[in-house]
Amino acid sequence: MRLRVSHTTAYSYSAPASLSQNEVYLTPRQTATQQVLSSELQLTPQPEYLHRRCDYFGNIAHVFMVQQGHRQLAVTAVSEVLTSAAPAVSPQATLAWEQVVERLGRHAAEDELAALQFSFASPMVVVEEEVRAYAARSFPSGRAVLAGALDLMGRIYGEFSYDKTASTVETSVGEVLASRRGVCQDFAHLAIACLRSLGLAARYVSGYLQTLPPPGRPRLVGADASHAWVALYVPDVGWVDFDPTNNMPVGESHITVAWGRDYSDVAPVKGVVMGGGTHTLEVRVDVVQLG
Amino acid sequence: METFAQYDVGGFYDELIAADGIPRPGAQLLVDKIESLPPGDLAMRQRAAERLLLKMGITFNVYGGEEGTEKIFPFDIIPRIVPATDWRQIEAGLKQRIFALNEFLQDIYNDKKILKDGVIPKDLIYSSRTYRRECEGFTPPRRIWCHVTGTDLVRDGDGRFYVLEDNLRCPSGVSYVLENRQVLKRTFPQVFEASKVRPVDDYPSKLLEMLEYLAPDHVQAPTIGVLTPGIYNSAYFEHSFLSQQMGVELVEGQDLVVNDGHVHMLTTKGLKRVDVLYRRIDDDFVDPLVFRPDSLLGVPGLIAAYKAGRIAMANAPGTGIADDKVVYAYVPQIIRYYTGEEPILANVPTYICGDDEDRSYVLDHLDQLVVKAANESGGYGMLVGPHATPEQRRAFAEKIKAEPRNYMAQPTLSLSRVPTIVGDRIEGRHVDLRPYVLFGREIYVQPGGLTRVALTRGSLVVNSSQGGGSKDTWVLEEGR
Repeated sequence: MRLRVSHTTAYSYSAPASLSQNEVYLTPRQTATQQVLSSELQLTPQPEYLHRRCDYFGNIAHVFMVQQGHRQLAVTAVSEVLTSAAPAVSPQATLAWEQVVERLGRHAAEDELAALQFSFASPMVVVEEEVRAYAARSFPSGRAVLAGALDLMGRIYGEFSYDKTASTVETSVGEVLASRRGVCQDFAHLAIACLRSLGLAARYVSGYLQTLPPPGRPRLVGADASHAWVALYVPDVGWVDFDPTNNMPVGESHITVAWGRDYSDVAPVKGVVMGGGTHTLEVRVDVVQLG
Repeated sequence: METFAQYDVGGFYDELIAADGIPRPGAQLLVDKIESLPPGDLAMRQRAAERLLLKMGITFNVYGGEEGTEKIFPFDIIPRIVPATDWRQIEAGLKQRIFALNEFLQDIYNDKKILKDGVIPKDLIYSSRTYRRECEGFTPPRRIWCHVTGTDLVRDGDGRFYVLEDNLRCPSGVSYVLENRQVLKRTFPQVFEASKVRPVDDYPSKLLEMLEYLAPDHVQAPTIGVLTPGIYNSAYFEHSFLSQQMGVELVEGQDLVVNDGHVHMLTTKGLKRVDVLYRRIDDDFVDPLVFRPDSLLGVPGLIAAYKAGRIAMANAPGTGIADDKVVYAYVPQIIRYYTGEEPILANVPTYICGDDEDRSYVLDHLDQLVVKAANESGGYGMLVGPHATPEQRRAFAEKIKAEPRNYMAQPTLSLSRVPTIVGDRIEGRHVDLRPYVLFGREIYVQPGGLTRVALTRGSLVVNSSQGGGSKDTWVLEEGR
């Protein structure tokens, strides 16, 4: 599927800002199921300093600095990708989850060692007793690891409600578990915490999802949003992505941008500004299918 | 006041008095002097020293305390004396250890040979909270990571020195070493002169020399700053003291700005470029763009400027992985791996709670062990088993079970003691020793260090944040 995504983040300041420093993760990754045809970053005003780097996890980050007085700052990334479906994996055919934990512990293979580092607590994913208890119900002993993960995803989808007002970018896993509400970032963090509580390796994936309008209604431009989901490491298979917010496997309509241990590794836009008074923020995401 | 006639070493190794009650070589002059003082004179000297410290403004802060932020650091005027033979071993051992730890840091963030060769378990590094992924593939200026370290040593009942922990992030306390010496020179001027004590006061100039060595090659007269979190930090006194002694700028995060890829200081005459920072802010807070976004103590963009070689920093970010208290258990192997030599200074035997066998031993023997969290310092997050209540031990056992990787345990050592003034008596109190090491053109070990003393009878916790005090440390010249 050929998709074009455009993602704009625009700040307006009540007073001139003298210096703004930012780091953005907006350039999609090349993966086995995603080819990046083009990707362009537009910045207004033009920054005095712009640097593109590849981070520890292989994501592409841009660091830039605006050093002149400005009242507006806009960051727009426009990318075109060609996505394909991941090869189907039969959940029941995967290893029992205890065996996966054991394989990670031994980490004899290079990719198992690479996966191991996604099995520990990270800045925004702290594993508490309640999380362990919640996860355990999906993972009775001997259950195939991917079957357990899909069951967990179904429970999160069924028992939690999507609520944009319930959380912020800093909401903790414990708060989400208690309130039973949140957004994609919260559900991804919760699923990751559950999987890690068992000793499994799970990572946070930041990206987009093409949304389709209800039947008979026009598609609204800019109504999409940045999205997040989870990938689980399955030995002999690799990383398997799934989307707890929508209770679906990750497929052709998902665009992968970056992955890390949690949101804090791959926040799409973060920065520090000097001056500027109060600010208003506008975010627009638009995913369209081409041809 | 009672003096040494009634002094009881109590079955411990005493740094001044041998088991038979005779002063150790080097301590005779001091003991004779104290014995010869008229009644009340020793107490008077102690009070005079305390007044002097207060006047000099030598204070520290305790987090969570309610009696104001600044207190004087308790000080005892009876010095600890280290004979030249002991010091020779400590100095050689520290040079070897710091050299090896620096090699380890360079390797762990680059080639990872030590992991590939299976000397250290890989998961130990990847699971550490202080392993900084941002430092991958980086080599700091002059290939030095741990420029300033303070290694905590203890002497056990057998008279041997052991390394208790390494502090490779922002070790503090050296200012007390310098100030304690100033005070004690006035307390026992004649004994001090006659005992041939090695000087400690060239530390600030050695520190400055090291910082200048780090400056980029093309910079002739580098601008150097001490970066402090500000007046609420427990070591703020030291930050201002060292910057003043070195004659360099004392700056907070808000005084610095990254512009054109370089770090600048805001001055009344405009921006001034900074070439070297002696930063006393933890990794987590140094740059909100890279580490903790909720902190404004640091400087946004500092890490990018650092990695581009525009500024040098001491210590380098990422050194915390080498003083992770579980990685500590592997330092003897680290030394052998990088130097091919046997460690000169021994580690305290350590049980790693991430290891199943070690953990069950630890949980069964909590009443005999000291348990520490991997990434805490200052005596926070630890359990001294023999002195804890059953309740505290049970609570701690739960913490260990929940996160075994994060804990290690050591046997309770019989720390050596030094005679200390307690009311109108002299009693033995347990001590440790933190010498300071600078890594610049070469490795320099300050002859002395901070002797911390647990002022409560029987206590083994010497941290200043937990009610410890300090003493002057006299390293004697060779031939004494």
